[in-house]
Amino acid sequence: MSSSRLRDAVHLLLANAAIAALVALYRSWFLSPNPATIALSFLLVILVVATRGRLWVAVVTAVFATAAFNFFFLPPTGTFTVADPHNWVALLAFLIVAIVSSNLSSAARARAREAIARRDEVTRLFDLSRDILLTTESASALPSLARHAARRFELDTLALFLPREKGWERHEGGIRASSLEEGELDRFLAKAGGAIEFDALRRTYGGHQTRLGGDGVVEQVVPLRIGTRPIGLLSAAGPGVDPGTLDALAGVAAIAVERAHFLEERKSAELERQRAELASAVLASFSHDLRTPLTAIQVAVANLVDPEIGRAEREGQAEVALREVHRLRRLFQFILDMAQVDAGITPEREWVLPGDVVDAAVALVAQGLAAHRVEIDADPDREVEIDPRLTSGALAHVLENAAQHSPEGSVIRVRAWLDEEGLHVSVLDQGPGLDPADLERLFDPFYRGVGSSRHATGVGLGLSITRGLLAAEGGRIWAENAPPDGARFTILVPARSRAASLAPEGRT
Amino acid sequence: MNRQSRILLVDDELPILRAVTPLLRSRGYEVRSVVTGAGALTEMEADPPDLLIVDLGLPDVDGFEICRRVRERSAVPIIVLSARHSEKDKVQALDLGADDYVTKPFGPDELLARVRACLRRSPLSPEEQTGTLVRSDLTIDFERHRVLRGEEEIRLTPKEFELLSFLARHPGKVLTHRTILKAIWGPHAVNEPQYLRVLMASLRRKIETDPAHPKYVLTEPWVGYRFREC
Repeated sequence: MSSSRLRDAVHLLLANAAIAALVALYRSWFLSPNPATIALSFLLVILVVATRGRLWVAVVTAVFATAAFNFFFLPPTGTFTVADPHNWVALLAFLIVAIVSSNLSSAARARAREAIARRDEVTRLFDLSRDILLTTESASALPSLARHAARRFELDTLALFLPREKGWERHEGGIRASSLEEGELDRFLAKAGGAIEFDALRRTYGGHQTRLGGDGVVEQVVPLRIGTRPIGLLSAAGPGVDPGTLDALAGVAAIAVERAHFLEERKSAELERQRAELASAVLASFSHDLRTPLTAIQVAVANLVDPEIGRAEREGQAEVALREVHRLRRLFQFILDMAQVDAGITPEREWVLPGDVVDAAVALVAQGLAAHRVEIDADPDREVEIDPRLTSGALAHVLENAAQHSPEGSVIRVRAWLDEEGLHVSVLDQGPGLDPADLERLFDPFYRGVGSSRHATGVGLGLSITRGLLAAEGGRIWAENAPPDGARFTILVPARSRAASLAPEGRT
Repeated sequence: MNRQSRILLVDDELPILRAVTPLLRSRGYEVRSVVTGAGALTEMEADPPDLLIVDLGLPDVDGFEICRRVRERSAVPIIVLSARHSEKDKVQALDLGADDYVTKPFGPDELLARVRACLRRSPLSPEEQTGTLVRSDLTIDFERHRVLRGEEEIRLTPKEFELLSFLARHPGKVLTHRTILKAIWGPHAVNEPQYLRVLMASLRRKIETDPAHPKYVLTEPWVGYRFREC
């Protein structure tokens, strides 16, 4: 405010100084100039002032110039009286021309200024729209919109409010948070409904409301609308908050809200699709994995009672059937584990020895480990509070995985220890190790590393189930290469531990 | 059977081989087994068997590819074993030249019946193609285009007769919809299954005593039809 007043004063001073300078110039002129020349040169000064400054500055200059013209150049000079009636007409004409022309040029200037302001506004809105369209992440879209809008429009406060089932969702931008409260928001939104009309002069649709906060800050509240339906509110405070601009801003914000909503929906549809795809892949895999052992069992068992098959061959059939029954049992465990992971498991923690957990896991997959030597090194002095079934189930898949990826007869080393983080169990095999390319996707469902056996049960699901089971306990699993041996998988289950009691339960 | 029929069994699942091989041997067949598709193709080349039993899901060359390659140079009957549940796979295998399919899990009797049927109709006898075929009380005279049920002549339209004789010339073999459509109406009709449905319905009304429970032309659900073997 003060800076523009100062500028006006400077304009006025300069203009009047220019008039005074012209007067001095013409007075000292060696030949007396024609009054028309003098009037025109004064007019020039007034026009310059009108194009550069405000209208009132130009008018004051015009009046001053008229007075000076009269006083110094119209006879009798040195007085404000005018002898010749012709000169009265000239003087009046000069004043009218000066005022009208300064009015015109000032209006042109205002229009230019308005056009520039509109252009700036359009540019900012365009930038803002672009920001919105480039955002693909629905969660960050609205907070970043609030921030960008506050910065681009130089607002102290810019807040977006969206009604939710309970309360309001707020996104604040700018340096000062909005002080609007939920009750007020409810009222504002209620008032925003109903018919809307365009106000051409203010370039706004109805529904603008002003709110004076306790701290003296005036916030403008504008409804966000899709069509005529209000979907939220925008509140802004700061210098030069133009209602039309706010309306346009609210329009852009409404689009952003709709877009965020749309992105959210698309994401959940995508997740749903992925889930369905995974489910059908799991079904196909299990269906295949079930059919083979079932066929072998059915034929082998029939062979056992088939009188046409010789005694020696029948014995082999029993073994085939038994092996396949084991395979089915393991597969059954897979299905149960997956169903558990899917249904969400509540871990049931109890105090156990790490060694017992490892033993239980080894027992679960004894069949798969038969061709390997398993060496166990477990901390015997401390107990840990975990869900032993979940943990050993998860560990069993890791052991099975190690056996499938290392040569028969090789050693699988299992080490279990406790520290302040919880229970660690590492499984080290003597296989070829992990391809660095596999590391990222190792725990994804159906991911099978290069060269893994086709006949592994629950092909490609074991490690993803492990991760699911561990997650229920807040645990995790990671893998690394441990040359000169093969791969090392380590699981960590966060848990409390304590010194083992002298006669530990469950150990005889 | 003047000599032992020789069967080549291809499956990468050892338990299947270990159970099925003794079963087939006990029925007097000579059985060789291989675990890869490439091995199967080599064996086919070196010493062609009388029957090929092949699993569709082999790790290297899959069963479809084996059907296609074997059919290019040999008429040996092929039975595919499938752990897949989709009918599309069966149809594809049959269209590629397989004669029959058995879906896992299967029982020994089912497999043995298919093996017997496949070996019996191989090689195709020329009399069967031109002479008369008798199935219980149904007599088909291919030469005179006549069909009798008992003593009574059944009047068939030319298309109905064409359909019946096409099926009857391949007794026991599963013929896919596509194969039949192509044989009766030509290649442009392979995607018009309703032609076949309508014609089959009218044929069955004439030849079957109870069209709802057909005795001569059997339906293989979602795959095709099979003419009764004996």
